Amino acid sequence: MSDNHEQHDHMNIPKYVGVFLVLVVGTILTYYAALVDMDSIFPGANTLVALLIAFTKMAVVMLFFMHVYWSKRLIWLSAIGSFFWLAIMFAFTLQDYLTRSEGVFGR
Amino acid sequence: MSAHSATDKFVYHEPGLQHQFEDMGQQEESVTIGMWMFLVQEILFFGGLFTAYLVFRYRYPMAFAAGSNHLDAFWGGLNTLVLIVSSLTMALTVYFAQKGNRSMQVILILLTMFFGSVFLGVKAVEYTDKYNHGLIPVTGWNKKTPAAEPGAHSAHSAKPCYEVEHGGEHTYVNPHGDFLWTDCSLVKTAMDGNFLTSAEKAGYFDQAFAPGAEISADKFRDKVRIFFFLYFVMTGLHALHMIVGLGLMTWLLWTAFKGYYSAEYYMPVEMSGLYWHFVDIVWIFLFPLLYLLGRHFLHTH
Amino acid sequence: MQASDAISTGYGSAKGNYLTNGSTLASWLLTKDHKRIAIMYLVTVSMFFMMGGLYAAAIRLELLTPASDLLETGTYNRVFTQHGILMIFFFLIPSIPAILGNFMLPLMIGAKDLAMPRINLLSLYIYWAGGLLTLYALMQGGVDTGWTFYTPYSTTFSNSYVMAVGLGIFINGFSSILTGLNFIVTIHTMRAPGMTWFRLPLFVWAHYATSLVMILGTPVIAITVLLVAIERTVKVGIFDPAIGGDPILFQHLFWFYSHPAVYIMILPGMGVVSELISNFSRKKIFGYEFIAFSSIAIAVFGFLVWGHHMFVSGQSVYAGLVFSFLTMVVAVPSAIKMFNWTATLYKGSITFDTPMLYAFGFMGLFLIGGLTGLFLGSVGLTVHLTDTYFVVAHFHYVMVGGQVIAYLGGIHYWWPKMTGRMYSEFWGKISAMLVFVGFNLTFFPQFILGYQGMPRRYAAYPEELQVLNIFSTAGASVLGVGLVMPVVYLTHSLVFGAKAADNPWMLPGLEWRTSSPPPTENFDVMPVVTWEAYEFGEENGLDLEAARRSDVVTA
Ligand SMILES: [Cu+2]
Repeated sequence: MSDNHEQHDHMNIPKYVGVFLVLVVGTILTYYAALVDMDSIFPGANTLVALLIAFTKMAVVMLFFMHVYWSKRLIWLSAIGSFFWLAIMFAFTLQDYLTRSEGVFGR
Repeated sequence: MSAHSATDKFVYHEPGLQHQFEDMGQQEESVTIGMWMFLVQEILFFGGLFTAYLVFRYRYPMAFAAGSNHLDAFWGGLNTLVLIVSSLTMALTVYFAQKGNRSMQVILILLTMFFGSVFLGVKAVEYTDKYNHGLIPVTGWNKKTPAAEPGAHSAHSAKPCYEVEHGGEHTYVNPHGDFLWTDCSLVKTAMDGNFLTSAEKAGYFDQAFAPGAEISADKFRDKVRIFFFLYFVMTGLHALHMIVGLGLMTWLLWTAFKGYYSAEYYMPVEMSGLYWHFVDIVWIFLFPLLYLLGRHFLHTH
Repeated sequence: MQASDAISTGYGSAKGNYLTNGSTLASWLLTKDHKRIAIMYLVTVSMFFMMGGLYAAAIRLELLTPASDLLETGTYNRVFTQHGILMIFFFLIPSIPAILGNFMLPLMIGAKDLAMPRINLLSLYIYWAGGLLTLYALMQGGVDTGWTFYTPYSTTFSNSYVMAVGLGIFINGFSSILTGLNFIVTIHTMRAPGMTWFRLPLFVWAHYATSLVMILGTPVIAITVLLVAIERTVKVGIFDPAIGGDPILFQHLFWFYSHPAVYIMILPGMGVVSELISNFSRKKIFGYEFIAFSSIAIAVFGFLVWGHHMFVSGQSVYAGLVFSFLTMVVAVPSAIKMFNWTATLYKGSITFDTPMLYAFGFMGLFLIGGLTGLFLGSVGLTVHLTDTYFVVAHFHYVMVGGQVIAYLGGIHYWWPKMTGRMYSEFWGKISAMLVFVGFNLTFFPQFILGYQGMPRRYAAYPEELQVLNIFSTAGASVLGVGLVMPVVYLTHSLVFGAKAADNPWMLPGLEWRTSSPPPTENFDVMPVVTWEAYEFGEENGLDLEAARRSDVVTA
């Protein structure tokens, strides 16, 4: 409860700048990755790479800028939980669209 | 969690402590959980839009790639960097608030506000550009230019839509401020490479799809318009959150300037920081999804 | 009444209560007291309930005869739409959480207030704003899309006030989000010393689960309604198939919220019933942990089944199968609750006070409502039953037979605490029984009507279906009388009712250990909890004999 005061000794200015640099590198990387045709490796590879970079950037912002790394389990849970619920929304919507023409009974 | 003892009720009240709480620790924990619940709510709020994006991009990848290629990745990338810088200054604001450093707080809040405004300025430039090129999806909301000469309008649409040369300067003719889209060269490429999805085969053509079939410029335009609709709704809602964030920063600037915050009491700074970082995270996803995906088609085909 | 002195653990105040603490309009409108906010919710929610009830009466009167004579079909569309919108968004969703939850949750966990009193007041104002906008739209001529706002009818074709009502619901959604947010924070941080998670009354667990659904689901309906509003305004969007959009996507987004929303409506009701069953059996609830975690399970699994509203919409067969299977799964936690309640009753010393009558009503009606839900959740059968009166009967059994009955039970149960007055137990029992009988007479025939193929949302129907419709309308009149009676005798009790003791039912819960009505800060001394939930017995200073005696007095 009152341990909020101690947690901030974990970050200092060089570390904040380090996180910032990771984000800048990620941005540049995602731009150039988008120009390369990775879909020829397997379909959707470009999308996957873009999302992986975005997720990494998000994770860094949440963990260090938003201090989730040093927060209570409840904060971890709400951060992860909200994305889990997004995943539910995406997955259960897509399970309809992805199986429209070739459902288990075929067409 | 509720470890506060039964006896400390009437001991004394610290500054900034609200009446329903027993001590600062309880208040800080409540505010933090409350803020995170608010952010969870925000994530699901944007989530509806991301679901819509997902569904339509899955169905009409070429239309979305065409739209993405038409956005200016330079401005989008610049804005990403601008937001990241503002996130850094915001994180440092919280850092200096914890140290009780008032002048650094004020300076960093000002910097955060500056970069936030730059972001919105760039957004305005981009929106204006879309207005000038007939890319706002709503009829009548684009720049209106009367037909230069009779017949120019019809000549415009007589050509198959996939025969558009890139870089060529074509005149902007848009008497009603319609959504204009004449370039479906990507579909042609995809059709030749035989990788149109079944939804695209049904969605881009007037007749049943067959190799070499004529693309319907109107039907394709509708799908690209959905991309731009989502682009405007998503970035618009994000910009709205930026404006709210700037309002929050203004209030924070005033209170920090007045010296309300100390190493003991800085919750408002930290909570505003959480909000600001959240808005940054939304953009971290919007940038690749709207500006970048599908860009490789242009560079390789 | 004097029996309450048997409890020596009173934390109540002799100095006055929350009702006497200020009598100006400002002292109400600017209050941060969760109890006053709850009372203001009670007044407004009741008004919306009565309006929704009037629309229901109009529907039943129209359906008395096969022809569309009382209401012309267009008007009928508006009437059933507005009945649905008022009842769902402005009554069912806020009723138990915003009134009973708001009032009781801090008392039950031993807090001075909710964690965020100003946010609580804000949520009330947002509710009022959304309600006013909706009322304005209804005055202007209303809306005819059905409460589901299916596209493209709502975005493109309907000529009614979709925008205003949609925005009213959009605004109102944030009231619900803020209430949920407030509850979660409160339950996490405001519990009194000794009030551990597994000593929380099950009403509190139910509200925790409800709040999760509010926070995770409501924003999605907000953005969906916003998209509909944008599409309607600018004539471009993503839901109209004529311009490349997808109406099924709207249904996915809509039901992502609106199926879990039925749990926003029913979970708090289940919480109330858990309280009533245990307390009026004077027996520790059976399977506390199972009931607590089944609430959370319902909140989670409730998000995985929305496609059962879309079996015939063009959704893929595969998705239909998955959603159908998960719908069966989500019935399990509800069944767990039913079994545990029944086990609690076993060998309990049951008293049949009005709240308990409602609890019994709930168990019977919710059982029917829940089981018919399984009929509708099976892909094959649903093809026959979709959009018939079978569906209407099913969800009224859950929503009215479940939620409204639980709400009434809760109101009666806590009325002495909220107002400091006893209502008339005689009239209470009469009305509880009228509601039960009237309700069954109204809605049971509708199962048969639906099975025979009578579609919902039509003003006219074939003549051979008239008999059952007459039954239904007759039942509705009885139900109406049963619902109006509490308004009369509860209001009457405010002035003429006997003064309520601090603990009129002789119960161990924390809310009964302060005065009736409670003081503004709920407890004069911070309470320390040393007992488990629903612990009856001498060690709690609770005298079962005295309790029985007082039951005799109140009856
Ligand atoms: Cu459902």
